[in-house]
Amino acid sequence: MTSTASPSPVPQSDVRAGTPAIELKGLSKSFPGGRAPALDGVDLSVPRGGIFGILGPNGAGKTTLMSILGGLILPSSGSVRIDGHDVLTEARHIRHILGLVPQEPAIYPTLTARENLDFFGRMQGLSGAYLESRIQACLELVEMTGEADQRVEQFSGGYKRRLNMVIGLMHEPEILILDEPTVAIDPHSRALIHHRLRELNAAGISILISTHYMEEAEMLCDEIAIIDHGRLMVQGLVPDLLAQRRDEAIELQFFGEPGAGLARALETIPGVQRAEQAGCRVRVFSDRPEQVIAPIMQRVQAEAPTLRSLVFGRASLEQVFLSLTGDRGAPR
Amino acid sequence: MMRDLAKLRASVVKEARILLRDRQALILFFTMPVLFVLILSLSLRDVFGDRPGATFPVLVVAEDQAEVGRGIVATFRANPHIRLALAERASEAQARQWLIDGHYRFVVLVPAGATLQAKRRLGEIMAEVPADLRLEQPVAVRVLADPSLRSDYRKVLEGSLDLALHGIEMKLGREQLEQTLRVTQGAHFTGLPDMDQGRVFQPVHGETVTKRGGGPTPTSVQQNAPAWTLLAMFFLTVPLSVAFIKEREQGSLFRLQTMTVPAWVVLGGKAVPYFVINQIQMISVLAVSVHVLPLLGGDPLGLGNAPLALLLMGASASLAAIGFGIAVAVYARTTEQAAGFSSATVMIMGALGGILVPKAVMLPIMQELAVISPLSWGLDGFLDIFVRGGGVDDVLPEALALLAFSAFCHAIAIQRYRRRV
Repeated sequence: MTSTASPSPVPQSDVRAGTPAIELKGLSKSFPGGRAPALDGVDLSVPRGGIFGILGPNGAGKTTLMSILGGLILPSSGSVRIDGHDVLTEARHIRHILGLVPQEPAIYPTLTARENLDFFGRMQGLSGAYLESRIQACLELVEMTGEADQRVEQFSGGYKRRLNMVIGLMHEPEILILDEPTVAIDPHSRALIHHRLRELNAAGISILISTHYMEEAEMLCDEIAIIDHGRLMVQGLVPDLLAQRRDEAIELQFFGEPGAGLARALETIPGVQRAEQAGCRVRVFSDRPEQVIAPIMQRVQAEAPTLRSLVFGRASLEQVFLSLTGDRGAPR
Repeated sequence: MMRDLAKLRASVVKEARILLRDRQALILFFTMPVLFVLILSLSLRDVFGDRPGATFPVLVVAEDQAEVGRGIVATFRANPHIRLALAERASEAQARQWLIDGHYRFVVLVPAGATLQAKRRLGEIMAEVPADLRLEQPVAVRVLADPSLRSDYRKVLEGSLDLALHGIEMKLGREQLEQTLRVTQGAHFTGLPDMDQGRVFQPVHGETVTKRGGGPTPTSVQQNAPAWTLLAMFFLTVPLSVAFIKEREQGSLFRLQTMTVPAWVVLGGKAVPYFVINQIQMISVLAVSVHVLPLLGGDPLGLGNAPLALLLMGASASLAAIGFGIAVAVYARTTEQAAGFSSATVMIMGALGGILVPKAVMLPIMQELAVISPLSWGLDGFLDIFVRGGGVDDVLPEALALLAFSAFCHAIAIQRYRRRV
């Protein structure tokens, strides 16, 4: 990254240092005709200066939450404050400090990348030399200077998402909200976006990201919240959540689904409390995991499915997620 | 091949499901053509001669109650294509005003004492008084016509008046001849005078009554140029609304909403380019009508003498069309709905408003219904300028109506655009 592309450090006054970047209180949203509320009394505090992940299976209420944060829909009850300002009554103030990156690339396909940046920059009130410098900086940030004058409709999904993200950064926001920014893109673009988000965060930008990629959340986020059925299931620092789940299970993954007999066979091993099978995955619960690993391997070899991996002792967010949300909308 | 057919079938089923679930679009698909057919059939009924219907309100001011007055009234009364109104006394100024106000399309003024004058004139002709010594002038039956009355219809009306006058002349002449023969018992008979040497009545020559006195007789180009300009302007609502909905579907509109970009900026950003296109449309249609049409043997378009009024009408009509397009865009859910609704509605407004079929040939009830169509207001404004020689003052009511329509459409569009669920 060149020097011009670096986001400028955000000055934070002493008064605001204690203010959460985003604060939700009793946030509920029901849609007419909806059977259950899309959001049901969510309390959430996103601290300043970190990368905060919102996880949840499809239909959990993530997009509804993002739409409320963006001021696109109104909450049925509760309050939303961004940088201490109410999203409903102080939208104009928030606009200057908040950058929003929608899930689907919200860009004009028949305009070039530069024209899109120019248009949305102007819509944010930028102009003149500053606008030009921001366009250049943003193009460099996502490594698209060579593609600046190509029409967006000619871009791959990855390039569209890069452009989509960087439009949200045109006005140098202090708080950046991204809704599933890396869905369905090439690994290179994903790595670039992750890299840039960490750099932006290091430069002082508070980031809220919704995702259903567990690895992404684990790698990127300092703190996460899991929501399901419109409710907040858990909120905490990633290391704390992982520590809570440690040693919970030994996870076996197979190439292809093992026979139904395997889980039953594993449960007969002394020290094994129970074994659960879900697709190609078997989870074995034990309070003495070190002692049961060898007999488990023997049984596996006897039952003859091809083992792909065995994970033990290292809990993943995926496990936390699955234990809280069940197998509904199993994450990738 | 089979796999592709299966894909085709699946996509047909999918499309059918989407369509069947889009109730508004279905209603549009079926009711619009029905409405369209109804309106056009009603409007064109007389043109296609399905039945003789009363089409033109014609006024005969018969200040003469004797043979001449009675004869003219009888002739018009016998014509099933006109709605005849009679007045025994009315000043010419009053008759002109009635015509301008649109109460009548065609007025015949029979002066008081016309019969007496005709008889005296006839007597002089029969007595072979030399033309320069005759005391009596030919009787002048005056005709006033609305400039928007189609010229073929007008010629028919003038022709039937001419025929009526000839008939009256013949009748009076025969009566006088009979009387002379009875008195003289055939003595001193010198043969019938040559009636063509001096007519009893002045030849019928209609005067076109415009707001500012005389103006050019209307031509088809005067109807068609503004009519098709207006239709083209309003047809831009189709791409306008589709573009807006695409923007919504692509998410860029939501992005603008999160940036709290005001509604008028978003909607105005759409309106301005379309306004420019509308003005170019108008200028090109007018330019072709003025310069190209005569080269092809048509009547050239006279632009009147009020360029400011023309600008005012062009701008108001365009703003009305854009407002309509934006309102459709904001309310429609899909591009199909927007395109279907706006094109069908514009066609219906065009049919109602005298764009597709001149109002003059519509049934009276349809002519009255035309007032609900903004295209009709636009057309009336342009006709005021081209045909009736009107200026800014004359087109102000039409322009204000179009601007009010535009303001209403924009207001409901902005209100809807700002609405959050």
